[in-house]
Amino acid sequence: MAPDLNKASGSASKNEAPVKAPPSKKKEDKKDEDLSEEDLALKQQLELYVERVQDPEPGIQKLALESLRQEIRSSTSSMTSVPKPLKFLRAHYGALKAHYETMAESDLKKYLADILSVLALTMSAEGERESLKYRLLGSEGDIGSWGHEYVRNLAGEIAQEYTKRQAMKRTEEAPIHDLIELVQQIVAFHMKHNAEPEAVDLLMEVEDLDILSKHVDKTNFKRTCLYLTSAAKYLPGPDDLVVLKIAYEIYLKFGEYASALQIALFLDNSQYIKQVYISCDDSLQKKQFSYILARHGSAFELDDDISADDVDREVLEEIINNTKLSEGYLTLARDIEVMEPKSPEDIYKAHLLDGRASAGASVDSARQNLAATFVNAFVNAGFGQDKLMTPPTDSSSGGSGNWLFKNKEHGKTSAAASLGMILMWDVDSGLAQLDKYFHSNDNHVIAGALLGVGIVNCGIRNDCDPALALLDDFVDKEDPSVRIGAIMGLGIAYAGTQNEQICSKLSGILNDAKAPLDVIAFSAISLGLVCVSSCNEEVAQAIIFALMDRSESELQEPLIRFLPLGLGLLYLGKQERVDATAEVSKTFNEKIRKYCDMTLLSCAYAGTGNVLKVQNLLGHCAEHLEKSETHQGPAVLGIAMIAMAEELGLEMAIRSLEHLLQYGEQNIRRAVPLALGLLCISNPKVNVMDTLSRLSHDTDSEVAMAAVISLGLIGAGTNNARIAGMLRNLSSYYYKDAPLLFCVRIAQGLVHLGKGLLTLNPYHSDRFLLSPTALAGLITMLHACLDMKNIASGKYHYVLYFLVLAMQPRMLLTVDENLKPLSVPVRVGQAVDVVGQAGRPKTITGFQTHSTPVLLAAGDRAELATEKYIPLSPILEGFVILKENPDYREDL
Amino acid sequence: MGQGPSGGLNRQLPGDRKQNGSDKKDKKFEPAAPPARVGRKQRKQKGPEAAARLPTVTPLTKCKLRLLKLERIKDYLLMEEEFVANQERLKPQEEKAEEDRSKVDDLRGSPMSVGNLEELIDENHAIVSSSVGPEYYVGILSFVDKDQLEPGCAILMHNKVLSVVGLLQDEVDPMVSVMKVDKAPLESYADIGGLDAQIQEIKEAVELPLTHPELYEDIGIKPPKGVILYGEPGTGKTLLAKAVANSTSATFLRVVGSELIQKYLGDGPKLVRELFRVADDLSPSIVFIDEIDAVGTKRYDAHSGGEREIQRTMLELLNQLDGFDSRGDVKVILATNRIESLDPALLRPGRIDRKIEFPLPDIKTRRRIFQIHTARMTLADDVNLEEFVMTKDEFSGADIKAICTEAGLLALRERRMKVTHVDFKKAKEKVMFKKKEGVPEGLYM
Repeated sequence: MAPDLNKASGSASKNEAPVKAPPSKKKEDKKDEDLSEEDLALKQQLELYVERVQDPEPGIQKLALESLRQEIRSSTSSMTSVPKPLKFLRAHYGALKAHYETMAESDLKKYLADILSVLALTMSAEGERESLKYRLLGSEGDIGSWGHEYVRNLAGEIAQEYTKRQAMKRTEEAPIHDLIELVQQIVAFHMKHNAEPEAVDLLMEVEDLDILSKHVDKTNFKRTCLYLTSAAKYLPGPDDLVVLKIAYEIYLKFGEYASALQIALFLDNSQYIKQVYISCDDSLQKKQFSYILARHGSAFELDDDISADDVDREVLEEIINNTKLSEGYLTLARDIEVMEPKSPEDIYKAHLLDGRASAGASVDSARQNLAATFVNAFVNAGFGQDKLMTPPTDSSSGGSGNWLFKNKEHGKTSAAASLGMILMWDVDSGLAQLDKYFHSNDNHVIAGALLGVGIVNCGIRNDCDPALALLDDFVDKEDPSVRIGAIMGLGIAYAGTQNEQICSKLSGILNDAKAPLDVIAFSAISLGLVCVSSCNEEVAQAIIFALMDRSESELQEPLIRFLPLGLGLLYLGKQERVDATAEVSKTFNEKIRKYCDMTLLSCAYAGTGNVLKVQNLLGHCAEHLEKSETHQGPAVLGIAMIAMAEELGLEMAIRSLEHLLQYGEQNIRRAVPLALGLLCISNPKVNVMDTLSRLSHDTDSEVAMAAVISLGLIGAGTNNARIAGMLRNLSSYYYKDAPLLFCVRIAQGLVHLGKGLLTLNPYHSDRFLLSPTALAGLITMLHACLDMKNIASGKYHYVLYFLVLAMQPRMLLTVDENLKPLSVPVRVGQAVDVVGQAGRPKTITGFQTHSTPVLLAAGDRAELATEKYIPLSPILEGFVILKENPDYREDL
Repeated sequence: MGQGPSGGLNRQLPGDRKQNGSDKKDKKFEPAAPPARVGRKQRKQKGPEAAARLPTVTPLTKCKLRLLKLERIKDYLLMEEEFVANQERLKPQEEKAEEDRSKVDDLRGSPMSVGNLEELIDENHAIVSSSVGPEYYVGILSFVDKDQLEPGCAILMHNKVLSVVGLLQDEVDPMVSVMKVDKAPLESYADIGGLDAQIQEIKEAVELPLTHPELYEDIGIKPPKGVILYGEPGTGKTLLAKAVANSTSATFLRVVGSELIQKYLGDGPKLVRELFRVADDLSPSIVFIDEIDAVGTKRYDAHSGGEREIQRTMLELLNQLDGFDSRGDVKVILATNRIESLDPALLRPGRIDRKIEFPLPDIKTRRRIFQIHTARMTLADDVNLEEFVMTKDEFSGADIKAICTEAGLLALRERRMKVTHVDFKKAKEKVMFKKKEGVPEGLYM
């Protein structure tokens, strides 16, 4: 805005006609020349008002002020320039201010203060906050009458003033109630005018979000809460908790119980969960809650407060216990027509490669068969039938036994356990079919059967605890492989339940000085899984003591890494609560100390997006170390674990990992592909795919192995044709290299996980909630992959079964009020971030209409395409109960 | 992506090698990893580098959430910086890179000959041709970025063995680079008399979407893509475009419609494509096409090849304005004085959303224009400009300028230091006379 306007106050030119421009007067007139006649008239008018305001007569003053106000309010202009009256009054701002000071206390003075406050909008010097000052002195009228821009400016000044007063508070008294009153007004204004984000921002600045709940109403609470919840991910603690609490309260207030429940789960606050159950009295809605809880995999006990009615409670419990998961999954499979079992050859698709690959296939047939076992298990997971373990003819003496004994020694363990995965979630028939192996006289087979029992029961809880009953006896057997099978089985079956019986049993093993290291390692992991993110002190103590008791040489073993990991799992996502244990870990033997440190740190902050911790971990990765140090691997994984919390962090972490690849030593480079795999799990991003494809040809075979496995992880359950093609080519590229070929096969199996119906993503509910057990399973497997040669592709290949914890059908299955599947049309498309957008923007883009049940890919969102039903959950994922819409009318 | 059979064929090599050599020791030659895709150039990478691109941040509205998100990105970038700085300190890569580079230069040899990539056979071989002579089947050296290779692109070849050693990027048509306005014109908005509504419209349609996209996001509309300025000759269309160029920091490309008409078939559309590609690369940018009626006239049965070519050029323009590929931050300004003869497809909303008319100046505007032009002249006391302002004759802005200049010339002829009223009168008559093509003013009144 022209500086000349500042000086354009000269009254000399006022009466001159603008065009007659005698040269002599040109200089003075230059300023006015730009003005048209109307503008000039307006200017003169305003000047007159200003003069009159300074008149001693109160009547004239009042009139003048009144008209000034009129002028300012009625002025409208383009969006970027200052309204004309304000421009012209600029010159008189000082005079008016001076006059204000001399005025006596009266209504008029307040009036003038109002006007000064508006004028200060454009004129006060930066940082003076005069607009606010005069507003506080003014008449406190309707704040919106001066326009939006004014309110915005005021909000900004309040935020500044507030921080200033907060700083002053330390030395002297600085009341803020006057500010808060103004804030109330502004918030009310914003909330009425669809500017929820601005209202929330202001309240966050003045740290008083409670005001918000007074102003939200039915029309805007959803947008407000959406903004709050998405802001919570980026706020530093403890602000995020405050924000989420407010969102929770608002949801509760407006009866959006399902959303409230999600926040309660995010906060991991069982009190809140209970409150949601109690405050909602719709039994159908409660069933929906139970589905959400079941998906999250949290152990939540229903008690009498929640549902007095026994029948009702039984139904709810049944849902929470996931007993219907298998049924729903098979419904989906039947609908999509993929029930037909697939053999590993169907996955390898060797015929697409040119001749040679199949010719050289007999390099290491035991390993080939083992790979086929895994592929078979992954592909047919949960379908209850396959071509290797459960031949369709079911001639009990034939097929299955044959395949089992095509595997050698520990291979048999995995083979027997694979039956468990094929029958996953189907407890009754699963246990029946596994039963025959219990009577085998081969310890490996028994171990596999025990593990299989655990896998069958994964995520399913049952009142009579069949898994515990079956496995309990075997935990104390002589043979270490049987023991490991039983321990792993327990860990997988009871992950996240915090079952005390198991805790005490496994802790006992940890204290047993005679137990071999591998038994102890798996006990620690199982303990970690069972008590995942519980911060259980006793268990922590048990693991710590077990770690301290290890001898030097044992600390060198690759399996030792499971002990710190088990400890870390106890504190998964619990942030500061790990501190005490972290202190203790400083006293460990130096061989393991740093490793333990990294693991604890990364676990405790997993899924928080805490940038400081990422920085800390990056710092560790920046060092160049001696060969023997191994702690950088978990540090790299930790970066991924922490950064996976939100989209931005995820993408930025991918960039950082690229740098690690460039500069890092081998031990870092080996972990980077795994970290990438964790970041994009079941979400094949093209750039990550390219990076991994490049790394899969790396000269270091361990890097290549990790990259291949990660290719499987990012494509897990997607049937992604491009990854499948890459892996096929890799299989012919590496056909001589047995360990790498094994990895390629595993990855192929993962890509076709559950024939493309499953996902490994621990995030669900629109990427808002993180299932701790799923994450625990993933990181256990990834930590095992850090030493690929010795663990995953060595003797302990069955660690791959830890992935079962993260397996969930990536489906949307709609059920009616009787919980029977119901087919309705839904639109499925790419989710769009609509936070803080105006109007009612589309939440999905590029959608297609299907009828349920449907598959949801990563980043997909679904919405109902019919008005006939109302979903009881705002997020259409997993099981969703539909209620008939009473207002629905058939279109004619 | 088409690496099925051919990829398999060629990948037998490494396998055989491993078979022969005893496994680990032969690290002499590890075949380079096959590229992610062959034969198709990666989607043109916007900005400096695709890898360096940062995630997009939603919402676009200015709010705390956006701030927090941007800060999060900043945090990560700082960490990256810290990490890289640390690493550079610990083990400097510069020298090593320098060494590698000189090795690569040795391999490339000098001079390199320029050729054309005819066909990619597999990831390591291609058929190339140079401007003279036959085509060759040659190898591609491993350091060439295969993702960038595509049939038809210009490549560098070794001078003896003719293997592909590099590729020539950045083939911007020099015709287009000329169009870029490097030096901002001197005319600013202040030099425009009147036209307030027009200025506001063009600001809203062209400048604000580039400077304040969030305003549109707030309301929930897509900003207009382009505007057309039309009106009688001399009413300030080009002047306004100049003022826009003066006030914006966006890349400003200006073309005259007739420049788009080329001698050879297909050159015109190609130029249009190139123009918009450059605009997209340099976005945010403003493309100004003056005298659009040179190419944009209504379609009808064309008699000559030339006319058909012109129409094809226009069709390309239509496609570029609102075709299949979306243009991001490219705004288009067209100017013409014959809007009625333009093809309706060109003017439909979505291509050109706003039509801004430039009327002949009314009295007020005329006064302003006179002021602007006489501001630097020494006028005699008797000059009464109001007389000219109030006449019923139809002046355009250009006419007024002509009058003032003419009056000045008259005064100059008589060696006077001041321009008198009489000068203006004479000048006016002269200008009006010329304008009405020899018919003296007032003859048929």
